[in-house]
Amino acid sequence: MQQSWLLIVASFCFGLLIAVTSAALSPRIRQNEINKRNRMVTVLLPEAKDFILLDEQIEIQSLQGKKEKVEIYKAMSGTDECVGWSFEATGSGFADKIKLVIALDKNFEKIAGFDVLLSNETPGFGDQIKYDYYRDQFKGAPAGELKLVTIGERGKIDSEIVAISGATISSEAVVEIVSNSITRVKEQMLKKGIIGNDKQ
Amino acid sequence: MTNSNAKSARYWQTLLAGLWRENPVFRLLLGMCPTLAVTAAVKPALTMGCCVIFVLICSNIIVSLMRNLLKPHLRILMFTLTIATFVTIADLFLKAFVPRMSETLGPYVPLIIVNCIIICRAEACASKNPLLVSVIDALGMGVGFTLTLCFLAAIRELLSTGKIFEAQLMPDAFVPWAAMSMPVGAFITLGLMLGLVNIVAGRKA
Repeated sequence: MQQSWLLIVASFCFGLLIAVTSAALSPRIRQNEINKRNRMVTVLLPEAKDFILLDEQIEIQSLQGKKEKVEIYKAMSGTDECVGWSFEATGSGFADKIKLVIALDKNFEKIAGFDVLLSNETPGFGDQIKYDYYRDQFKGAPAGELKLVTIGERGKIDSEIVAISGATISSEAVVEIVSNSITRVKEQMLKKGIIGNDKQ
Repeated sequence: MTNSNAKSARYWQTLLAGLWRENPVFRLLLGMCPTLAVTAAVKPALTMGCCVIFVLICSNIIVSLMRNLLKPHLRILMFTLTIATFVTIADLFLKAFVPRMSETLGPYVPLIIVNCIIICRAEACASKNPLLVSVIDALGMGVGFTLTLCFLAAIRELLSTGKIFEAQLMPDAFVPWAAMSMPVGAFITLGLMLGLVNIVAGRKA
């Protein structure tokens, strides 16, 4: 029991210190996350100037079979027209979770591209999912089921994605995340009438 | 006069001990987790080193100030509490001001809490010495750790990408060794460096 007061007082002081720092920095940390996503989406949808969070709740079944809420962002141009959509999707990669931000055109017909928010794939192999030569295959691909092939032409834009040699699992994980989330989000959006009926 | 001379000599000795004689990585073999994990490139190694310096100095200050209040059975608990506080603060600062670096370092910043160097310095130095000596010791150890990390990272980054800090240093014909940026590269580099340091230290002695 001796000197427990020191522990209690110290815990209180340290707790207070952390609380103050966290309160002071948390708006900045949140803003950093939003900025990062917006910066990535702006590259994928060059006309986008503003991003609006959709009010409708979209829930999809993830690859692990769990229900997942998806925040859909509507990308607006300078003249307030819808130029595309974006959302985040996660799935398991080779080593760890892969978190992607996916962008689509305004009719949800073509993929505008994806970028990697979070991944821990093997350097030199799996982390090539971040490289342009792999990502460019998704730009303009049809928004629906995608297929991974090991031999093919990377320049040809269609639903066939050519794997990174030496990193088939990482390539497949990305294809699965993209294709699963897009198919399911599209389904929900069509059901709710957000897209597909000239209501833009 | 001689008294103050002896004092300043002791301060210098404490400061320099961390750089070579008691270098945390090469001589004491402490803090191997970040040494292996974040030395794939110089920038994350430098950031990690700065975080460790910050945490080490803060925790040594606090521990040294309350050294007379510490009872043996509460000692380790207090050390861990102090260290955890400052690591959390350092982590928040990284997330707020250098978000990209914070992502690269990932879980290794929170893991400074269990870094042996910090608890070792709290136990071996700060809990027995006055404030000034503790701060100097923290600075010496922290800088020694940072320099070692940067040195290992420089070797690995150069061999795995041919660049250091984005500057191309290797000739165009150089084929990057991808393995050097993977864990295997960390073990090989650290092992060879430890051997080299032992040879050099053995010669001196």
